[in-house]
Amino acid sequence: MSTLINVSQLSWQIDSKFILNKVSFEVCKGEVIGIIGPNGAGKTSLLRCLTNQTNLLNKQQLSGNVFLKNRNLTTYSSKEIAKHFAIVMQKNENIFSLSVSDVMAMGLLPHKTLFSLNNDHDKAQIILALNKVGLEGALHFRFNALSGGEQQRVLIARALVQASQVLILDEPTNHLDVYYQHQILQLVKALNLTVIMTVHDLNLASLYCQRLLLLHNGQLLADGTPNQVLTSNQLQSVFNLPCRQSIDSINGATTVTFYLPERKSRKTKNRVVKGD
Amino acid sequence: MTKLAIIYCALSALVIFSITTAITIGPTNINTSELINCLLSTCDNAITNTVLWQVRIPRVLVALVAGMGLAIAGGILQNTTRNPLADPYLFGIVSGAGLGATIANITLADNLSIALPLAAFLGALFSVIIVVFIANILQRLEQLLLAGVAVSFMLAAITQFILYFGEPFATNRVIFWLMGSLARVDINNFYVIASVLIVVVIIAVGLHRHIDALLLGDDSASSLGVNVEQLRLLMMGLCAALTATIVAYCGGIGFVGLMIPHIARQIVGVTTLRLITGSALIGAIFLIWVDVIARSAMANAEIPIGIITSALGSIFFLFIMYRSRAIT
Repeated sequence: MSTLINVSQLSWQIDSKFILNKVSFEVCKGEVIGIIGPNGAGKTSLLRCLTNQTNLLNKQQLSGNVFLKNRNLTTYSSKEIAKHFAIVMQKNENIFSLSVSDVMAMGLLPHKTLFSLNNDHDKAQIILALNKVGLEGALHFRFNALSGGEQQRVLIARALVQASQVLILDEPTNHLDVYYQHQILQLVKALNLTVIMTVHDLNLASLYCQRLLLLHNGQLLADGTPNQVLTSNQLQSVFNLPCRQSIDSINGATTVTFYLPERKSRKTKNRVVKGD
Repeated sequence: MTKLAIIYCALSALVIFSITTAITIGPTNINTSELINCLLSTCDNAITNTVLWQVRIPRVLVALVAGMGLAIAGGILQNTTRNPLADPYLFGIVSGAGLGATIANITLADNLSIALPLAAFLGALFSVIIVVFIANILQRLEQLLLAGVAVSFMLAAITQFILYFGEPFATNRVIFWLMGSLARVDINNFYVIASVLIVVVIIAVGLHRHIDALLLGDDSASSLGVNVEQLRLLMMGLCAALTATIVAYCGGIGFVGLMIPHIARQIVGVTTLRLITGSALIGAIFLIWVDVIARSAMANAEIPIGIITSALGSIFFLFIMYRSRAIT
């Protein structure tokens, strides 16, 4: 497999705090990679750096390089980057009532010139992408009226219209029920794209990702198959909870179970309830 | 023909109907056959000829482009800031123009025909620069409108201070000018407003996909390759220039930029291209007819056009609030 992205010694710090600390890894074409770790570990920041969406970050405190196809990412124009990376965000701010087709047409932007209108080919592409995510006939529905899972699928379809090689997803299963969580991740896996996503649910990550990156305090603690990364020692030190690794008897995936320790809760001391 | 094309055709037909009808309405009666005669060859009646070419046609044409311009500026601002309440007037443009006009009235009273619009324009740009500067410091989109309102009040306070201690005649002139009127416009005003309008529309239509991308959030737009900050600044600058030009000639005409895009969105849709087209057509029809009311509702006097648009706008505003309460 050929290397598509090469991240080397990527660091980002605010004052003295490292958001990312010398992170290095490679991404090969066609891999499905999950980034896991506790809140504030730097997962979303890593995605931002990977796609050069660093306009909100303090660039002076960024160091290290990201290479895309052996070329430094900073030498790409924002339009070129949009042709390589499609990003499905965690949060959308849709105030006006956009239709599904309006949202999908946004994906055409990197491929279109100024003044251009959507031609028949574009419309066919939009319908094709919508069919791929199983939303046939939803073209003229209101985006806001769709369920969370359906909105997520529309955004993935938009990424397909964007026709980029790498699909980046930030918490694609957030706020979704169990059925939709599996549906979205199955869909993502079936697209045969290079996928990099942050996932909170470790068992979902294990089930759908070939490779996991474990981040903690901005550092890359582990990089490997789910079985290699989701070890009880490693997870215990990161999440501050005892845990047990096992192999699921039905699908053969590595699963982890956390359990609360008898008395101590995570990081906080037991509170004394007044009046006792 | 698609549904959208039918709507555009119907609205365009209404615009043409409004122009031709509005030209015939006024103290001097011009009937349709006379109008056609005058437009195609020469008028039989010299008075009709003068009224038509010197008064009616310039006035209706300025109403056309001013209505289009204010509505388009509102629509573009609403889409680029994702705020349905964004209106060029809320960015302090009118109070800035008012301050400019006030200063011109007091210092340059001799040569007002050129100085007043120019000073109003500079005042409007000044206020927008302050608002954008503040917004850049705040870095928060939600606070942009609040900054605009704050700047608006500050500039209005300065204006009122100057007017209070100013010469009563100049004060009167500024106050009437702020109420808005198309009574003093000529055909050159139409050319100026139309040229600015065309530039703004060309740029906005060119970037329509970029503006659309903002509708799902800054991050989403940025991931599609849009330089969000630059785009928003460019669009705000353009809308400010367009509104300032209109305000400079016509005075304060409020609520058009807020109300018309809202209606256009219900009829044609929310994406930029549709919103611009719909707002332009509906805004033109609206302002042409409001101007007809302004000049013909009372027998011997004109009502300032800004008073009518503000009255209609505030009722509309309350209606929207009532309706949205019913939905949620």
